[in-house]
Formats: sequence, C-alpha cells, structure tokens
Amino acid sequence: METREAELKGLGADFVFGFVQSMDGERDPRNLLLAFQIAKSIVHRGYDLGKFTEELFEVTSCYFPIDFSPPPNDPHGITREELILTLRDVLAGTPQFAEFLLPLIIEKLDSDVQSAKLDSLQTLTACVSQYEHKDLAEFLEGLWASLRREVFQTSSEKIESAGLAALTALTSCLSRSVLNSDSEDSLCIFLDLVLKDCKHHLCEPDLKLVWPSAKLLQAACSASNRASHIIVTAVVPSIIEQYNNRTQMNASVMCWFCFWFCFFSGSVGFSVEEVVLTCSSLQRIAEQVQDTEETGRCFHDIIIPRLLSLALQSVSLICFSQNIVRAFFMRFVWFPFWVFHVSRLAEKTASRAVSLFLDGDVSFLPDNSFPSDIQLLKQKGDSWSQSQMVCLLMGCVCSLPRSVEVPQMDQLLLQLEELSCTCSHPPSYTSAAKCFAGLVNKRAPGQFVCTLLLVFRVYSVLDSESSSVRTQAFTLMIWVRVMLHVVYIVFHCVSLKLFSLLDDADLGPMAADGFSLLMSDSSDVLNRSCHADVRIMYRQRFFSENSAKLVQGFNAAPQEKKPNYLKALSNIVNKLPKQVQVTELPALLSLLLEALSCPDQGVQLSTLSCLEPVLIDPPAALIQQLEALVNRLLALTSSRAMLNSFQHMSLFQVLPFRARVLRALARPLDDKKRLVRDEAVQARSEWFLLGSPGGS
Amino acid sequence: MSGGTRLENANPVIFQRSGQRLHTATEEDEDVHDPIDDREIFDILSINDPEHPLSLEELNVVEQIRVKVNDEESTVGVEFTPTIPHCSMATLIGLSIKVKLLRSLPERFKIDVHITPGSHASEEAVNKQLADKERVAAALENSSLLEVVNQCLSTRTI
Repeated sequence: METREAELKGLGADFVFGFVQSMDGERDPRNLLLAFQIAKSIVHRGYDLGKFTEELFEVTSCYFPIDFSPPPNDPHGITREELILTLRDVLAGTPQFAEFLLPLIIEKLDSDVQSAKLDSLQTLTACVSQYEHKDLAEFLEGLWASLRREVFQTSSEKIESAGLAALTALTSCLSRSVLNSDSEDSLCIFLDLVLKDCKHHLCEPDLKLVWPSAKLLQAACSASNRASHIIVTAVVPSIIEQYNNRTQMNASVMCWFCFWFCFFSGSVGFSVEEVVLTCSSLQRIAEQVQDTEETGRCFHDIIIPRLLSLALQSVSLICFSQNIVRAFFMRFVWFPFWVFHVSRLAEKTASRAVSLFLDGDVSFLPDNSFPSDIQLLKQKGDSWSQSQMVCLLMGCVCSLPRSVEVPQMDQLLLQLEELSCTCSHPPSYTSAAKCFAGLVNKRAPGQFVCTLLLVFRVYSVLDSESSSVRTQAFTLMIWVRVMLHVVYIVFHCVSLKLFSLLDDADLGPMAADGFSLLMSDSSDVLNRSCHADVRIMYRQRFFSENSAKLVQGFNAAPQEKKPNYLKALSNIVNKLPKQVQVTELPALLSLLLEALSCPDQGVQLSTLSCLEPVLIDPPAALIQQLEALVNRLLALTSSRAMLNSFQHMSLFQVLPFRARVLRALARPLDDKKRLVRDEAVQARSEWFLLGSPGGS
Repeated sequence: MSGGTRLENANPVIFQRSGQRLHTATEEDEDVHDPIDDREIFDILSINDPEHPLSLEELNVVEQIRVKVNDEESTVGVEFTPTIPHCSMATLIGLSIKVKLLRSLPERFKIDVHITPGSHASEEAVNKQLADKERVAAALENSSLLEVVNQCLSTRTI
C-alpha cells in the first residue's frame, strides 16, 4: 500500500469491496491486526469508499469492543491494547463513519462490561476530534444521556474520568464548529441539555449529586472559552443566590462552596464582575462560617492553595487582563485570613506560604504550570505585577497567633525590608511594609534592637533629600511605628522624626496624614483579632506628650506649611476618646478655628468632626468662644457636612445667633446641588422651630 | 391643640407613603446643576396633619402630581385636597404648607397654595386668604396660631 498508493486508489471502490470480502470472518489475531492496519490506511489516506462505506464499517466494527485474551506464552506477542488501538484508529478515522459509529458507541455504553464501557468512551473521545457538529447533531441527546449516566452512577474512577474526558472532547468539537445563518447553534443546544440536568443538583441541600454535577460542568467548561462562558454565566448567579439564601453557615455548605470554587478557578475566560463576585462571596462565607476542624481543613487544604495558585496565575501568565488582576488583589487585601486559626493548620499554611515566597516552592499548588524560578519578593524591573502578591503573604503570616512560629523569620524580614524600600508600586511597598511590621510586632520585645537599627537605616534615607525612595522609606517607618507601641523608646524617636517632617517640602502632607494612621486601628494587621500587641491608652499618652509641641510648631511654621500642622492636629484630636477631647479642646480651640478656615476640605471636615461634641454640649469654658465658632461655620454654608452639623446644635446657648443663622442659611437654599439644598432645608427648618412656640 | 374636641374626620383613609428618593450619580457631580423639580418640593412638604398622628402625604391631602414647580420662572404651585368637604382645618393646612414653602425655598420664588378645585365647600374663601401676603404675615404674628403651625411642621414625630 505504501508504494503503490496511486494505483490502488485508481481501482476505486472495487478495491475496498474486495478488501471487505477478504477480511470477512477473519479470526486469527495476527491477520486481524494486519487487516486493521490496512483498513486504517484506507480510511486515513483518503481512499474512495464509494457505496461501500457501511460495509467497511460493518466488517471492522463487528470486532468492537475487542474481547481478546492472548493465550499464555503466545509466541507472536499480540496484545489486546494493540488491537484495541488499531481498531480505534480505523473506526474513528473518518467522519463518514459517524452515523454508524455513534449509535454503536451509545449501544455499547449500555453494556455491563467495564472494559466495553471504557473502550467506548475512549473511542468516542478519539473520534470527535475529527468530526463536525453536523455529524453529531442527531446523537447529542443520546450521547449526553449515556455520559451523564456514567458519571452519576459511576462505579470506577477510570470510567468516570474517561467519561469526563469524552465530555470535554465533545464540547470542544461543538465549540469549533462554524455556524451558518440557518443552522442551529449545536453548542448551545448541547450545553442546555447539560445545564438542565446538572444545575439543580448544585443547589441541593443534601449534596447528593453535587460532586458529579460539578465535575461534569467543569469538564464542559474546560473545553473552550465559549463553553466556559456559557456555563459560568448560567451557573454562577444561581449559586450566589442560593448561597445568599442560606442563613446558617455550616461545614457542609463550606465544602460545597469549596467544590464550586475549585470548579470556577479551573475554567478560563471569566470577566471582572465574576471575579469580584466570587471573591466577595468567598470573603463573606469565610467571615460567617463556624470555625471547626472540618471547615478549617477545607479552608487551609483546598481554598488557600487554590487562591494562591489563582493569584499567581493572574500575575505570571498573560491570559488575564490588568483589570481582573487589579480587581482580584483589591479584594484580597481584606481577606479575613485570621478567621481560621486552628493552630496546626495555620502553621502549615504559613510555612507553605513562606516557602513559596522565599524559595519559589510551588509544589503545594494545584496547577503545575508555573515557572520554577519565581521570586515573589523581588521587583522585576518596572513590572510590579508579581510584587503585589506580597499582600497575600501578609494575610498568611501576620494573622498567626503568637505561639506559632513563622519559619525563616530573619530571611523574610530582610527581603521584606528590601522590597518595601525599593519597590516603586505603592500598593506593593505598602503591603510589604505592613507585613514587615506585623511580623516584627509578634517578636519578643527583647529583639527590638534590630528594629531600632532598622529605624535608623530608614532615617538615613529620609535625611538625604535626593534619595528617590524617600516615600517608600517613610511608609515603612510609619508602619513599623504603628506596631511598636510596646517599645516606647523607638516610639519616641520616631514620633520626633514625624514632627520634624511636617516642615519637609515633599513629605510634609504625608507626615500629617501619617498621624491619622498612628492613632487609628489598622483593621488588617494591627488589631486584637490578629494577636497583635496593642497597648491601651496609647492615644491619650501620645496626645498629652505632644500637643504643646504641635501648637509651638504651628506658630513657628511659615505660612505654606501651616496646613500640615493643622491637618496633623485635627487627625490626632479626632481619634481621641470623647471625654479627653472635651477637656483638651479649650486650649486648642483657636487653632481649630483656624483649621476651619483652611482651604483644604479634608482639614475642614476632620476639624468639624472634632468640634461636634462641643457644639452639641458646650462646656462652660467654651461659651464665649461659641460666637466665633458659629461665625466661622456660617462662612462655610456651601458644604453639606457643615449644613448637617447645624441640625444638631444645642438649644439655648446658640439662640442669640438664630437670626444670623437663618439669614445665612437662606443662601444655600438656592444652591445648584440638590443634596446641598436638602441639607439646608432641614437645617433651616430646625432653626425656625428653635425657641419658637410649638417648636422644640 | 385644644383638648377634648371631637375629631372631624375620625376614620381617615390612609395612603401609603412613597419611599425615599434615590440619589443618582449626577447628583454627586459637583459641576452639574440639579434643577428644582416636583419631587423635591413634594419631599419638602412632609407635614403633619393637625388632627391625626399622620402626615399629609399619608392622608393624600398632598400628592406629588398636584405639585408644579418651574425653576426658571421661579414659580411653584401646590394643590391640596382636604379629606372631607367641610373640613375646618383646611385653612390651617393650607397655611402650614405655605409657611413650610416660605421657609424652605429661595426668596425669588412666587408661591401659590390653593385647594384642589371641587373638593371643599369654601374653597374660594380659603384660597383668597392664602394668597393674601399681609393676612398670612398677620396670622403668623398670632402666637397660638404659630404654635399650631409649628407643631405641624415639627420634624420630631408625635
């Protein structure tokens, strides 16, 4: 056949007929193998089958599925596998056999014999790679019914995976087809069948067929972008809705969600909305579910590796758009990793995370398609996409209880310091700084010397005006400072530095904002649920030690730097407990009044929120000042926040100002913004009723 | 309120309150001018009924469809429907509406408050009183009348 192909083809269909006749009834395995090989050539080499297509098929398919046990000590060495594979090549070789082969496969899938089933499934997988949708159209229902049965009622893992592979191949074939304007979209028709049977199982409360349904959907999804898009858009909303309807989070729900997450992360081509939706659902579930051994295991063994894998894929492979990457990381900065702190498991996750980030060890991740030399704690040139992974590291290690030791701590701190001081991408270097600080905070107080040295290293960067990384150094300093309430010496040094920076040309405004950070609880790294060391009353102590200095600095500062001081002041005062505010305010009032006239709206608003307790319940010392205060406020009646504050003012002390206030409030009634007008109407109505008969 | 008098309309029909107005994106945009519209005026008219612990909206005395405002021409017209044709509270209700609008709108606006035609026996007389500026001002000088009006306009729930 090899040498005389043209001549043989020239014989036309007669050759095929002759061959069929000679093969008929053959039983010797050696001859059969040869016959199959000839048939394979006929089919693959494009010989004209003429009207003998069916005959050729019949004569070969009667041996399907092969049921052959070679006799022991067989000198010829013909194996069952050889026969199976060669026959398969024949049967699956041409679309012309489709109309005969597919019914045969469906029939054989019904058989009880495992090997027959397996063979049928594998043949199906092989043949659809050659076929087009029109070949499959009339058999889709039958094929689906059989595949579904095989996966739902499977008794063997091999058959199940063969079935899933067949489904993937089938879907892939359908996805490939080019549509005419008058032909139906067979992919949609087929997926409708699949979804109809599988979707409702995913929502069943007793989880009977969840796993098989999920696997089937996943198999279909992985066939092509089109298929995955169709399936994901059909399934995801109902799952989310279903989840939302559950009021009680228990272990089974968690596991069910795990399945879904695995399935979801296995498919490709989802949109930003879907990413955000999944992530927020995951977050909500994590926050609400009960903290048991089972859920903890589910979380640490399944979800976290998947998460890290997905994150890594999104930054190292190019198939994800920048929008998705950004959306993804914004979500996960807030992920409540600390929720599942079953110690043993958290420790395992922490050590895996550390080995991933320090050593590039990806062995525990489910997908193995990552490059082997990733270095997540180093910035690669200008690209910051990898370095933003550090926020996930932060989640994994910073929330560990104190009793759990983080492996390779020194090495980790070194690299984190490097990253936070050299990286040029703000979210990345901020996360690195936070992670560093979170780790430092967990160390024993006796190790603060290293931290002190760090702080001085940072100072030297800050002091050199020409350095290009001053902002990064500043960020690191701030975060370390936030964490170190336990070590007062460092605290003191750093706060001095912060004050001195208020005058700095570049870092002044940031230093002022830094005070806000200092005084507040950072919800992601510094709070009790993260086992961080938080000393009580640090705010008051800070304030009482530094307020005089702040006032002095303000008075001495040149005009353009004064806003920094005002901002710092209002940030600090804002976070004090109410009683302290009220006692301290008289001394600061003139400064705060000044802050109200500051053109920076942020300063105005934060000052106003400090002054609110004074307005509602003015202490005696402030009565004289009230007029000045009210006048300042009236000057600002175009701002909604200002107008809002007018509604809450106390009664008698402010009564003398009533006429003035009513007049001043008339102007914003005609403001171009409706929201401002609304506030003005409410405020003015209140003031009309103030002190009037029948009013308040 | 003078105590012990019999209520005029003891069993009023109660209508459902419309929900809060939803903010749109343009309302947040500082550069866009939001014109004053009917709904805004209607929201201003959240006034209490003098007799019942209900609002005028709930009694269907004021309806959004009977509020007409023209921001460019600085005119606003409100028609109100007393619950029964011989309601002696009609003048009081009309006065409350007028006062609320006077207090809540810029000075440039010309305010017209009148009874929905055909819904009250003495609508002509009441409308004439409400349209007369001097009479309105004089009424508000009367402290007991002012007290009642302020109670209707009070935002603290009864």
